[in-house]
Amino acid sequence: MRYTESAVRIVDELQRYHRQILLPDIGESGQRRLLQSHALIVGGGALGTMIADALARAGVGTLSIVDRDTVELTNLQRQVLYDEDDVAQMIPKAEAAKNKLARINSQVVVHGHVDDFSARNAERYVEGVDVILDGLDNFETRYLLNDVAVKHGLPYVYGGAVGTTGMSFLVLPHPQCRAETGRSLVRWSAAQSTPCLRCVFPEAPPPGASPTCDTAGVLGAAVAIIAAHQCAQAIKLLTGNLDKVDRSLLSIDVWLNQQRTLDISGARDSDDCPCCVRGDWAYLQGRAGGAVTTLCGRDAVQITPGPDGSQPKRLDLAAMAAKLSPHGSFTQNAYLMHGRFSNERSANGEPVELTLFPDGRAIIKGTDDLGTARSIYAKYIGA
Amino acid sequence: MHCTVLLFAQLAESIGSDRLALQLPDGATIEQALNELGSQHEIIASMRNTLAVAIHDRYCPHKTTLNDGDTLALIPPVSGG
Repeated sequence: MRYTESAVRIVDELQRYHRQILLPDIGESGQRRLLQSHALIVGGGALGTMIADALARAGVGTLSIVDRDTVELTNLQRQVLYDEDDVAQMIPKAEAAKNKLARINSQVVVHGHVDDFSARNAERYVEGVDVILDGLDNFETRYLLNDVAVKHGLPYVYGGAVGTTGMSFLVLPHPQCRAETGRSLVRWSAAQSTPCLRCVFPEAPPPGASPTCDTAGVLGAAVAIIAAHQCAQAIKLLTGNLDKVDRSLLSIDVWLNQQRTLDISGARDSDDCPCCVRGDWAYLQGRAGGAVTTLCGRDAVQITPGPDGSQPKRLDLAAMAAKLSPHGSFTQNAYLMHGRFSNERSANGEPVELTLFPDGRAIIKGTDDLGTARSIYAKYIGA
Repeated sequence: MHCTVLLFAQLAESIGSDRLALQLPDGATIEQALNELGSQHEIIASMRNTLAVAIHDRYCPHKTTLNDGDTLALIPPVSGG
């Protein structure tokens, strides 16, 4: 038997997924659905890189990754897409992830966005996506992601990990509050919908009340379990296996050998949820949350200037490096300016570091105090 | 009535135990249990609106009435990633 050229190409295209196609609930049709799918991964840290790696290998046709940071040495213990060269060259995570994923699976289209996911760009990033996966490290941005998922009727897979613990659950927003017609290939009825993040956790933990990667550390194995659970949920959704998704909240402690599944089906009925019952998207509309955020595990603060909705600035990074040179050592590349202050010290005596992006966003490392960070920003960059 | 409270993550760490015994009036709700626990432990008071409360591994709203012998799990969200 002779195969046509196109048949050979199709066989080749699917060959690498053979072991996955063997799974009865996926098969060739499920694999083709994956190849036509678009997943948005917000956050390119430990969760985000493990999710991106798994979904690229599984053949999710388009991946968009949004992350604001550059790769650091302390990331390499658990953030699987990065290496020492990325650290040495200070490559932004979204770029480094895109480069690695292209070598893992050239069939997958990867969009790497070096950006701070915020109220002013959230709706642009969810356009045309089929599922949203959470690789974030703070609750404020998660509530924003929850808002945009509910408004646009998109599946959102929450995940979080710190220390040796982790947690994950799927949000299939109730259609009651859908304001935009999402084009997701995943479809579900009101009866199949699930509580949203704010139904289960109405408010973000207060500052200082939750451990961070900085205070508690983090074990890569705990993150891997949560990332794998998130990926399994996404693959079930994208291959049309809605009846197989886990509708419970998974909570694990890999060190204490504890695993708990919590039935959260009653969470939406119980409360007048501002997000998915009343449709009040305070985080998406910029009425909740601030522009100054501590970064988990970094001893750092991020400052995003200007009110949400304003036009982003375009800074001349070379000029800024020259301007700051009397105050320390600063260099720039195509993506950012970075340097250390000679006269600003952290609590342990190390020089405070500044990373500045063209849109005016800054990461100030060497403090977790928002006021100190604001002061440094105002002093050297200007509001 | 007597209830048992299971604590996880930072709650257990901060309080120094993974369970507490709680004495409540008959007919008390989860809301009242949280008020009582919050008066004894600062961290519970500060986190009461961010906790998921479960009885027998099932999420329960704060208005839920408790029964004698119930075991409540206080589950904080996990924020890192």
